[in-house]
Parts: sequence; C-alpha cells; structure tokens
Amino acid sequence: MKDLKHLYYLENLLQDANNNLVREAQAGGRLAVGSVCSLIPEVLLSLPGCFPVRLRAPNTGSIDLGTYYMTSMSCECCRALLERAVEGGYKFLDCIIAPDACAQMNRCVENIDLLKLCDKEKFFISYSDVPMKSDETALRHYVKQMRIRVLEQLSGVYGVDVSDAALRAAVLGHNEACRLITAIGEYRKEDNPRITGYEFAVLCTATYCCPKDLLVDKLRETLDELGSRQPDSGKNFRARVVVAGSEIDNPDLIRLIEGSGALVVADRFCFGSLPGRQEIVLNDGEDVLLQICRQYLAWGKCARFMDTAKIEERQSYIDELAKSYHADGIIFEQQKFCDYWGYERALGSRVMRDDYGYPVLSVDLPYAVGTNAQLRTRVQAFVESIEIKNIQGKVTR
Amino acid sequence: MSTAMGSERLGNFYTGGKTRTRREWRGLKDTWYDYTRWLFIWKTMIKFATNPNNVRGMFRYRWMANYLVAPDFVDRHTEGLRGPQLRIAHQEFDLIVEHMCDTISTLFKADPLIGNDERLSKSIVVFDENMMSHIMNGFPNLRMICIEIPPIYTSSTMCQDGVLHYIDVSQSYGIPGDVCPMPSAELGVAIEDDYPHIGACMVQCNTTCDGSLMANGLEARRFKIPTFQLAVPIRHTQDSVQEYAADEVKNAVRFIEEQTGERFDWDNYFKCMDIFNQETKQMLEWLDLSRSPYPQVIGNNVALYRDATYQVAGGRDARFLEADEEITRLAVEGYKAKALCAPEVRHRAILWGVQAQYYTAFPLWLQNCWGILPLIDMLSLTSTRIFSIDDRDQAMLDMAHLYQNMTMRNRSNGGYEVGVNDLWRFCESFKADMVIMYEHIGCKAMAGYHGIFEEQARERGIKMVWVTHGLMDPRAASRKDMRNDVSRYMHTVLGEEALDASLEDFDDSNAW
Ligand code: SF4
Ligand code: SF4
Ligand code: SF4
Repeated sequence: MKDLKHLYYLENLLQDANNNLVREAQAGGRLAVGSVCSLIPEVLLSLPGCFPVRLRAPNTGSIDLGTYYMTSMSCECCRALLERAVEGGYKFLDCIIAPDACAQMNRCVENIDLLKLCDKEKFFISYSDVPMKSDETALRHYVKQMRIRVLEQLSGVYGVDVSDAALRAAVLGHNEACRLITAIGEYRKEDNPRITGYEFAVLCTATYCCPKDLLVDKLRETLDELGSRQPDSGKNFRARVVVAGSEIDNPDLIRLIEGSGALVVADRFCFGSLPGRQEIVLNDGEDVLLQICRQYLAWGKCARFMDTAKIEERQSYIDELAKSYHADGIIFEQQKFCDYWGYERALGSRVMRDDYGYPVLSVDLPYAVGTNAQLRTRVQAFVESIEIKNIQGKVTR
Repeated sequence: MSTAMGSERLGNFYTGGKTRTRREWRGLKDTWYDYTRWLFIWKTMIKFATNPNNVRGMFRYRWMANYLVAPDFVDRHTEGLRGPQLRIAHQEFDLIVEHMCDTISTLFKADPLIGNDERLSKSIVVFDENMMSHIMNGFPNLRMICIEIPPIYTSSTMCQDGVLHYIDVSQSYGIPGDVCPMPSAELGVAIEDDYPHIGACMVQCNTTCDGSLMANGLEARRFKIPTFQLAVPIRHTQDSVQEYAADEVKNAVRFIEEQTGERFDWDNYFKCMDIFNQETKQMLEWLDLSRSPYPQVIGNNVALYRDATYQVAGGRDARFLEADEEITRLAVEGYKAKALCAPEVRHRAILWGVQAQYYTAFPLWLQNCWGILPLIDMLSLTSTRIFSIDDRDQAMLDMAHLYQNMTMRNRSNGGYEVGVNDLWRFCESFKADMVIMYEHIGCKAMAGYHGIFEEQARERGIKMVWVTHGLMDPRAASRKDMRNDVSRYMHTVLGEEALDASLEDFDDSNAW
C-alpha cells in the first residue's frame, strides 16, 4: 500500500513527549497537563486553555535511574517514565493529574514529586482516588474526586474555566477526534483492511500525546485519504488478532507483531481506541461532569475494576471485538512486573481459550520493545498454530 | 551454668535438622515457666487433634500439616528471652495458637466434606484475609472467618516452606513469578480447591494492594457463594474519600443483612468497639514504654499478635483484652526493674516494609545476635484512634477508617506521607538510630520508594540496613540470606562484632 500522507509526520511527533504540537500549544499560552492513566477522563484535561499529554518515554534506552529509585522488580513502563523525568524530559509540564490507580505508577509520580523533577513555578501534582467498581456509590465518589482533585485544582492554580459550558466545549473537541479515530478504525474490519494496525496505532497514540485540536486536520485528511486507498491485492498477513492488555504506547510493538504475520485489527489496551475513543454523549438535563464520569465508568475495561460483573464484562468485550473485527486469535499482553495485568492475563488467556474457544498467545512485554527476537518468534509460532487450526478445521468440515 | 540473657550460644542449637538439638536453659525459674507453657501448647494441640473433624481435616487439606509444628513455632518466637519478655511472648503466642485451633475447628465443623454442620456454615460470613473484621461486631449471631489465614498466612509462619506448593500451583496456572507470594499462594489454594466450601456469603476487599485485589477476583470464581467486593479508597489520608469509604461499609453491611437475614446490632457493635478501644489503650502504653530507655513489648512481642488483635479479633474476643492487660502489667514490671530485651542494647531500630512471613522470628535474632532492639515494625503501626461507642454516623466513618487502615495497606497505600514521611517521624519519636528496611521482592508498592528511602536516610544520618526477602517464599532469599544482609552491614559499615557469634552463621535451611 502507498504510505499514508501524514504517517511520517505523526511518527515524528511520537519521538518526543515534548513534541512540536505540544510546543506550539504552549507557545499559544495553553497548559500542558501530564496524564498517566486512562482513569482520569482525558476530556477534563482538555478544558479551554489546557490539553492533556499522556506521558510516554519514546526511545527509551537504559532505565538505570528508574531502577535505582524503584528497583528492578517494578513495572518497566513506570521506571522508564521516571528515568525520562530524571533526564528532564517532562519539565515542560504545567501539572500532572494522577489517580492512585496502580501503586507503581503512583510511586513513579511520587518520585517525580519528591525529587522535584518538574520545576515550573506553578507546577503541581494532584493525586485522586478513582473507584474500582462501577456502581452508583462509586460514581458519586468519582464525580466528587474529579471535581475536587482535578477541576478545582486546575481552576485554583491556573484559573482554568471549569464551568459546564467549558466542559461542554471540551467534550465537543474531544468527540471530534474520537469520531475521526473511530471512523478510521472501522476500516480494520474489512476482509483485507486498507489500514494496518501499526498505522492505526500511530494515529491513535498521537491523539493521546498531542493537543487534539491541532491534530484533527491531519486525522480528517487521513480519513479522506483512506476512503480511496486501495489495499495490496494479496493479503500481507496470515492471521488477524485482537491485542488486549496493559499499556502499549509504542506503535513499534504493533509493527513487530505485524512483521511476524499477525495483523492487529483491534486494540484493547491503554493507549488504544477500544475503549478510549468513543464519543461522550451529553444530555441537557444532568450535570455535565456526572455524565462524563458515568460514561467513563461504564466503558472502563481496566483490570483494576474488581467486581465480578466487570471482570466478566472484560472478557465478553474481547469476544465482541474478536467477532466484529473478525479476529482469528487474541494476543493477551502485560507490561513486565505489572500486578494488575499479570493476574488479568493469566485469567483472561484461560477464559478466552477455554470458555470462548479462541487461540490465545499470552506474553509479557518489556517497555522498550526494540527488535525483540523472542516476541517475534512467539508471534510467528502463534500465527502458524492458527493456520494449522484453520486447515484442520477445513479438513474436518 | 549462667542463667542470664545471652548465656547460651543459641546458634549451636541448629545443626541442620528440622528442630533444634535441645531446649534452652534460662535458669530454673524461667526454664520451668517456659516448660509449663510448652506443655500447655501440647495440651491445646492434643485436644485439637483428638477431635474427629480435625483428624479428617488433617487428611483432606495439605496445608494442615503445617500446624503440627505449632510448639516449635512458639519456641522460635521465645528464643533467648527471659523474665517479663518471655512471659509476654507466651501470653501472645499461646493465645494465637489457641485462637487458630478454634478457628480451624469451626472451619472443619462447618465444612460439607467433614463436619457438614449446615447451620453453622450458614452462620459464617467468609472474609478475605486482607481486611478488617469490625463490620462483624454488629452481627453477634454470625461468625466471621478469614478464609485464607489458616491455609496461607499462618501456615507460612508456622513452617517456612509451608505454602510453596500453592505458590507453584498459582504459577503453573499462569500467574507471573514476580508478584507477591501472598495473594499468589492464596489463589493457589483456590485453584487446588483446598478451601473448605463454607459460608452464607463472602466479603472481599481491595486491601492490601493491586496483586491482592486481583487474586480475589480469580478466587471469587471458585467460592461460588454470593460475594460482595468492598472497595476501600486508596488515598486514605484525604478527607474527600471518607464519605465514599463509609458508603461502601454501609453497602457491605446491607449485603450481609440481605444474605443472612440478620440485622446490624448497634449495641453489640458499640460493646465490641469499647473493648477494641481498651485494647488500643494497652497498645499505646506499650508504645510509650518503647520510647523510653527500657522498652518491654517489642519485636516479635508486638508483630503478629497486634495483627491478630487489631484485624481479626477486632474487639469481639475478650481473651485478647485479658491478655493485653496482663502484658501491660508484665511490661510495667519489667520497666520498673529496668529489664533489657537484649544481652546488650546497641541500636534502637524501626522495622519498616513488610516482614518475611517465613521468618517472623527474625526480630528476635536481631536482639540476640547484634543487640539491635526492634522497637516496632511497620505492620504494627496501624491506627491507634479511639472510636465512638455511641454515635452511629460516626461509627460508619470509624469502620471506614479502620478498613482503610488495615495492617500493611495503611502504608502500602495512601502515598509517601504514610509510606515514607511517617518512618522518619517514628524514628524521631522512638529515638531510633537505625532502620531495618525489609525489601520484600514482590512488594511493588514499597519497592517504588527504594531510592527515596536511601537518599532521605542518608540526609537524616539514619543507619539503613536493607534486608531482602521473598515474604512467603524462602527460595527467593533464605533466612540465612536475611541474616547475612544485617551481619554484613554490622561488620563492614559499623565495624561491630556480634554479641553471640554462634548466631552469625548457622544452618536453619531445613528447619520448620
Ligand atoms: S491499565 Fe488501568 S491502571 Fe494502568 S494506566 Fe491503564 S487505566 Fe490506568
Ligand atoms: S503496566 Fe501495570 S503497573 Fe505499569 S503502569 Fe500500567 S497498570 Fe501500572
Ligand atoms: S506485601 Fe506488599 S505486595 Fe504483598 S500483599 Fe502486602 S502490600 Fe501487597
């Protein structure tokens, strides 16, 4: 397939947390709000005058300092972010809004806090408690926390307008980007998709790391371009897979999987679009914040939602995705040393294989993927096993 | 033969076998006292073992084998002690053994595979190990059993390799090897179907940490009884979370009422909380003594027991208050007599991080070998608030406070104010010059503070001794490795020699 016109530009944006669009927005007087987890609704950080930057550590090499502060048994993603912070990579941030979602990311942020690694005059970090269930009691708590620990902090320190009108404006802008990403993602359902999982991951990851309003033109043009894009005549993949699990903020990982023969048709991970890029639907009657929080709780697929209903919902959601994106198998992944997804991967892999009947590859990933020969081999073997299964299925039929 | 503390070369008792070569000579009075208590433990055990249900339980559940070594468990936790400290230790550990025997007997009586007492089973609310039990103060007609305590928590401290099998089972299921062995082993028991299937319903909790809440989700699949997941706020120091925490407690109470048909009994709740408050006051007295030059209730004599009183008994078992009062009496006596807890006191230490469950007698070794007084440990530094005994609204907030401040999770959750800053505060108030920092390999919540601890200890001039361990898995770092961490520091950094050189290097790799 011919390269997407903006792919190179977007790939470049992903090379640095403080990328050109971030700089452009800050030069225009806007605040860069650091975010570390999907449990703080991104839209609250997109109020007029602000934009969220989901922290990443592109091109991570050594994480020795991160390891010194957090030991070699901590999540590599958290260590890499801390390392980048020690290197001064997040000094551009005006604040970090962090939930106490996973202990290790919380420690990472606390290290940034205690070591004073971001030093703008009014820089602050706000920690909030986010619920682990999705019932009405949890919703009330969520709304209260988001009001006190997010909105009031932004308005108190920087005078950000947090009125309902401002929230509605933020939702409009957020929805625009989500609509475009979702429309682009729909092409992955095609028999021979006109967009690869890697290309989609570049587009989607960029929406987490750049001011969305500065990106939407490129997304719109890409959607138009895709309308007439012709896929290669033969299929460049041997199997279609859903990737499910913890954070993947590096599209190179998706490229590595695809280079091993498995096209990634659905992204059920943090930094992915399923969920993450749905539009927020607002009615006129209810409190806007309440509506936003309710939808985030309903969508939430993080492993830390602890009630049985949510656990089962996560599994059936993967099944739904596999069906609607016509996947042949599932790659269940976790960042190394992640407790949440370590357990979830063990359970999810078994359930998806034993109860739902999918071929499943279960892997733990280092943060810096590189060329990772071991992962490549495992994906190749997985693809082969799917092919053999398909052949056997045809023979029996 | 001398009778003084430190008169025996304690390391020589270990010759590589399961048990030590002989009992310690502590002088006539103390040896006789210790011997009578040893007989008492045996009496308790024999009574337990002659109950037919328990005999059947022994054959059905692999983890039961660990309890055969209860007398050795008590011996390990009294090593080198004399006078008031010896008596305090027996007050505590003998009660722990009795309490455990009662719990297991109830468990087997209700177990459909053993006693099959359906009525009893229906009166039991199964609790997660990692949670406070105070909700049950309002349900006098019901019983609470922390289902994971007998197979895992206590098993691991009874016998150092007592839960390895379950860790392996969990890993074969697919749980990564780097997670904390506690929830991992607890899940292993569920996978093996080695929990008795008892109870009207179950309440699980997101304490203590990420791994523990995840294991619960998997375990719930096995219990097959109505289950309520109690979500306790993580950032528990913030005022803004208290209302939610109380609402969740209310939801849990409602769930138990619905499942059992019982009503929350406020009179009983307040009665139990009154006892709990009195227990807290006893604990506060011990802490006061520990700030003085003559601490009396320290190390092993606080840890484990405080856990049991605070978390499991929760004011419902009057035996704990009786024991507490006796401990205070003994401690005051010891203080007045200026009794020392070690042959020679060289350092005053706070033990921080999570202790190794397979080496709960480690603080005693610190005293006996190096004269390091383990004044208090992180797990025992829980809430010492005095709670309302008449205001129902406040009571909900009180319970919420307790659930948030469960042993261990009150510091592994809640941010650096409670995880780091409090350590230095305690060092100051206990006049400690040293921190024994447990580095439990799988505890990522505490590992995230590693560098900060190092740097801040240096700034404050506090001696920081890192002791690496695997919580319930001695394969990760043995008891000997833990001792070596300390001995190396004492020799190379401080240039000190051991008080009892025989304790520096001995073989207990095969011991219980
Ligand atoms: S996986 Fe869950 S806890 Fe981790 S960053 Fe994503 S939403 Fe947050
Ligand atoms: S991978 Fe796991 S441990 Fe790491 S930040 Fe995400 S949820 Fe936390
Ligand atoms: S030791 Fe650490 S990881 Fe293990 S249960 Fe406690 S807080 Fe969790």
